[in-house]
Amino acid sequence: MSTTPSILLVGLGGAGCGMVSRIAANLPPVVRVALIDTDASVLNTTAGQEVFQIGRPLTRGMGTAGEIAVGQAAVEADEPTLRRLFTGYSLVVLVTGLGGGMGSGGAAPLANIALDVGATVLSFATIPFSHEGERRKRQATEALEKLAVKSHGLVVVENDLLALQVAADASLSAAFSAADEWIAGSLRALASVFTPGALVPVDPAALKTILEKPGSPTLFSYGVGQGSGAALIAAKAACDSSLAHGPGAITKVGSLFVQVTGGLNMSATDAFEAVSIIRKKFGGEKTTLLGACVKPELGDRVEVAVLGASLPVPKPATKTKKGAKGADSNQPVFVFATEESIRRGIFSNTPLTFRDGADIDVPTYIRKSVRLTPAS
Amino acid sequence: MNKKSLPSFITVIDIGTHKTTALTAQVIDGRARMLGFSERRTDGVVKGTVIDVEKLHASVHEVVNDLERVSQRAVEQIYVSIAGPSVEGERVKGICIVPAHDGRITKLDYQQAIDSAKRLEPPAGRITLLHMRQPSILDNKPVGNPVGQQGRRLEVSFWRITMEEGNVRFRVSMANGMSITVRDFILASHAAACAVTTDSEKQGGVCVIDIGAGTTDWVLYFKGHILCSGSIAVGGEHITNDLSIALRISRETAEDLKLRFASGLHRDQDVNQTIWKDGDKSVGDQQFNRGTITQVSSLRYQEILSFVRKDIIIQLEQIFSGHEVKLDQNFLPSGVILTGGSANLADAAEATQNVFGLSARVGIPKFDNSSLQKSEYAGVVGMMIAALEDAPPVVRRQKGFMDILRDLFRF
Repeated sequence: MSTTPSILLVGLGGAGCGMVSRIAANLPPVVRVALIDTDASVLNTTAGQEVFQIGRPLTRGMGTAGEIAVGQAAVEADEPTLRRLFTGYSLVVLVTGLGGGMGSGGAAPLANIALDVGATVLSFATIPFSHEGERRKRQATEALEKLAVKSHGLVVVENDLLALQVAADASLSAAFSAADEWIAGSLRALASVFTPGALVPVDPAALKTILEKPGSPTLFSYGVGQGSGAALIAAKAACDSSLAHGPGAITKVGSLFVQVTGGLNMSATDAFEAVSIIRKKFGGEKTTLLGACVKPELGDRVEVAVLGASLPVPKPATKTKKGAKGADSNQPVFVFATEESIRRGIFSNTPLTFRDGADIDVPTYIRKSVRLTPAS
Repeated sequence: MNKKSLPSFITVIDIGTHKTTALTAQVIDGRARMLGFSERRTDGVVKGTVIDVEKLHASVHEVVNDLERVSQRAVEQIYVSIAGPSVEGERVKGICIVPAHDGRITKLDYQQAIDSAKRLEPPAGRITLLHMRQPSILDNKPVGNPVGQQGRRLEVSFWRITMEEGNVRFRVSMANGMSITVRDFILASHAAACAVTTDSEKQGGVCVIDIGAGTTDWVLYFKGHILCSGSIAVGGEHITNDLSIALRISRETAEDLKLRFASGLHRDQDVNQTIWKDGDKSVGDQQFNRGTITQVSSLRYQEILSFVRKDIIIQLEQIFSGHEVKLDQNFLPSGVILTGGSANLADAAEATQNVFGLSARVGIPKFDNSSLQKSEYAGVVGMMIAALEDAPPVVRRQKGFMDILRDLFRF
């Protein structure tokens, strides 16, 4: 494996840059990091990384002020620069927070440029908290649908769901940092396998066999275990992670990529055992790719990351959802685990029931941000 | 009141979000003797709103066919339940300034007041289905029958039930499609109340909450009459949905777990109590923490009840504007009675007590046939009881029902 970077990790917008710069320090050398935003002040705070300020004539170095059109125009204006940036990478990982202007407006065109130059695009997108208001939510949902068809893999991180896993009385900032930490952990785990010298190294280009075509429903999950049987605990945690579930999320996939990272004590047997648990849960009959890596600093901790994709849906999910009435209702369609389907379940396709400004079809415990008793 | 002669056979159909039930009875000496009962899953209704007309048609058709088979009688006339968010209740008033010198109220004065109340047009796009009698008020004092009493100002009020025109039209055309006439509509929550309350409870003051699969319908009685009613598009299916989201399980599994383990209260002892999905520990069996289930279900259940409580208070404030009314045991001595499928949830009555601060119980319908003595059948049994009475407090409007039909279809 060559030592020149073959993976490009891109942070887009304020939230995306924040997350990427926080994990940049721990990344293996095969990963090159780039931060993209219009806001000079955001880019200034992320010291030491390669930054790309775009849309300078449009915003004069300020933020997009939540305007989708501005975010989109900024990416389009600097397309030649970005195209040069993406050329030569087999895998582009795009991290962004949807809801604002840069993330919501710029993500889809940016992914499109990366697709154009032949890279495999894996996108991580966070959906804003309900507390952040209706407009951001709406922008995020719309952006998600656009981004889905431009990415080989799209991992959606529901901030609301993540917030449920932190303590009930945690502050908002703690909730935000929990969301960040989750993405950072997943990315670190994913990236470490591409490090030369890994127990079972994986060529980044091989990811292409998992994520074959843009627009296929993606499964992503991540779990951590510690102590004796850590690999098994981590695998189980990944199976039960709220990101891989929620009604509407795909539960069985054709191709699977499992990545196990652990301390010195972790043996290949541990890794294989973890993989068999994951396979039992999620399938992966077509292809299963195993990556394993030893990191002494992890001690007795083991991290398991799962990435999978089922076959691409014949039509983009966005269209089948909107035109559901006209389509053959008996035909099962894969639907992306969108913000709506995760939160409204069987009521996804019914009119909203508003009361006191809230959609009461959304589970009470989510609306009241009640932390549930963890599964035993 | 033009009380109609009762048919010797009565058929009632209760169309719910989850299931449609129908009952045929023969009337002998004012008592109903059950001839047949039929029950089917309803398709095409979500949250009390019809989303697929054809599917609903098919399920109602099936119920009627089934009923005709078991009762060995063709269904000709039916009473149809109305419930859900498209039903709205509103208070209408008619006033008569007593013309006689001695202030004695004649039958004519009384009728005049009633007419003026009923003449009020419903909001555009809605049809008036029922006028439910409320106590008459003579010079600011409630009176029973005002005829013959002395006073200056007689006020007659009704709780008027209206429904969206399309919904009414749809129900009628559905019956017509099966060559059945709709004899009348019955408010589902009122029906449920008829099945589970006594007259003295209604006289004293009682609230009946019918928590179905898709909607929660409530009605409040005060001095023997309906004071107000309402509906919320939330029900037992929301508990199922919450569980399926929280535990990441299918809707069917969630429904099963709800029936077995969900509760209206979250108790400390539930936490860390492990339960199995199937219990036989076979392949695919899953274990869950009971605390999670009771937590999710009790949050939703108590929220539904608190919505009802809030709506009741809003209605009371409108009705008794200027007077302070507290929703307490003095106002509602008989407290809250729960009916409907979701009243079977464990600790339902205790949860209601907590939310309302009133006594609460689960209502079991009074009916000869023991298989129908379950809270989920309160609706259909109560419809039969209400149909038997078919007289006050359900006062017929001046315009016959066939006239409304004629208006609708212009024939």
